[in-house]
Amino acid sequence: MALFETRGLTKRFLGVTAVDAVDLRIEAGELVSLIGPNGSGKTTLFNCVTGYLPSDAGRVFFRDRDVTGVAAHRIARLGVGRTFQLVSVFPRLSALENLLTFLQQHQEEGVLGRLVRVPRVRRYEAVAVERAMMLLDSVGLAARASAPAGSLSYGQRKLLAFAAALMPDPELVLLDEPAAAVNPTMINQMKEQIRALHRRGKTVLLVEHNMDVVMDISQRVIVLDHGQKIAEGSPAAVRRDPKVIEAYFGR
Amino acid sequence: MRALRWGLGGAFLVAVPWIVAAVAPGQQRYILHVLIFTTLYGALALSYDLVVGHVGSLSLAHPAFFGIGAYTAALLGTEARWSFAAALPAGVAAAGLMALAVGVPMFRLTEHSFAMGTLGFALVAQIVATNWVEFTRGPLCVTGIPKPELGPLRIATLPAFYWMGLTAVGLTGLLYHGLTTGRLGRAFHAVRDNEMLASAASIHPLKYRMLAFVIGGAVAGGVGALFTSYVGVLCPTELAVSLSVNLLVMLFLGGVGSLRGVVVGAVAFTALPEILRMAPTWRMVIYGLLLLLIVIRAPDGLEGVIRRRSAAWRRPSGG
Repeated sequence: MALFETRGLTKRFLGVTAVDAVDLRIEAGELVSLIGPNGSGKTTLFNCVTGYLPSDAGRVFFRDRDVTGVAAHRIARLGVGRTFQLVSVFPRLSALENLLTFLQQHQEEGVLGRLVRVPRVRRYEAVAVERAMMLLDSVGLAARASAPAGSLSYGQRKLLAFAAALMPDPELVLLDEPAAAVNPTMINQMKEQIRALHRRGKTVLLVEHNMDVVMDISQRVIVLDHGQKIAEGSPAAVRRDPKVIEAYFGR
Repeated sequence: MRALRWGLGGAFLVAVPWIVAAVAPGQQRYILHVLIFTTLYGALALSYDLVVGHVGSLSLAHPAFFGIGAYTAALLGTEARWSFAAALPAGVAAAGLMALAVGVPMFRLTEHSFAMGTLGFALVAQIVATNWVEFTRGPLCVTGIPKPELGPLRIATLPAFYWMGLTAVGLTGLLYHGLTTGRLGRAFHAVRDNEMLASAASIHPLKYRMLAFVIGGAVAGGVGALFTSYVGVLCPTELAVSLSVNLLVMLFLGGVGSLRGVVVGAVAFTALPEILRMAPTWRMVIYGLLLLLIVIRAPDGLEGVIRRRSAAWRRPSGG
């Protein structure tokens, strides 16, 4: 069975069907992009499968488990990491603290444990900091570890959000427009990051408008239009698909 | 160095009753009375800041939890003749359980409606305290609340009550520090700053909001029990909604979400009006103007002023 799957997923807003009976299948280790014109339902779909929006029909499966209607924090705990299009980081926390925040639930320490700072907790904290610094280093932000996330540039914040999503080592990573409004250098860096993630065996589902990024790194592309899946296949095949061309440019 | 500073500061605070006796022998009682209120207000403000400052929920129910703890301890001490050592934890537990029961429906509301809902609860609590005369004695007040006895320790004198208050604010401060730093603190702040992103980090927003709300409520109940044991009388007016306003002034005056800030705010709030008694006619006018001045000049509270000052002080010496 696929690592991640939706069957007939549907979401309506006041009569508008934002996601219309969408079937997705993503195998473990795949790098898949979800594209479509503005308003085609990509982000809504993301929000439905990660527990942020209740869906109206259909089911969502992750690792053979039905996760339809499961709360967002539980889905995250199961091993689904995600980034957001707009809200990306905790601006008042430092870059390092942002990452540490994402390593919350792996070991409950409890109020008492915190108060007496048992050695086990300290050791765990040290391991967490080490991992966070490694991830910050991999996105080139190690030098800004103690800077408040709000003081970073827009592109840096996106990289930070990306690193934070990886902190708990999720199996599936959903990235919502990681390259949007980011300068070209940063886009290349982001592309490299996503490739590296894929090489490490992680499964990636990407929503992206930047076609260079999508065509360059995806193994498979899924196209949504008006909430419906209209095409699916290799980047080259999708690019030539008349239905896709019509969706983007009209008749 | 740090330990030395803390030790000296602690020793000074413990020695305050003797210092006051030496410096102002005639005014000893009055000054200690103000200081006792300051310590209890400090502990109450810290418990309130767990909710307002750290998970960002503007609860106005705090006077109710304070009152539930106070009434539980007072009625158990007078009617049931419980010892203080049993009545105090009962007050803490009653307030904590009430916070748990109230929190579940209240946290279905968000932002302003949460504030309104908790305000409604606080009003109902005061009305019950006023009108359930057979149980709370209503406006006749619970009187003759015994002085606390904890085993061989009898708290009856003003210095003893001051040390009790100091212990209360110290323990609350430790709890506050433990809860708001490290991983638990990061979870609180994540929920406060961005609930969606917190969920993506596997943090259950409701769980952490409830945790802060229930612990804050339980501590407020404990402070209520200490308060009545000191004053000896408990009236429904103690549950007035205006208590929330006073607490909010302390928090914003001192610095929301900061241990030092909240304590400084509580001290400034209780001590300032007393110091200003030197100018009786204009006292409250000057007080209001001072508050206004602080809010305009330091919107992040006195904590921000302290932080900036100490940073500026450190810089020329090269760290």
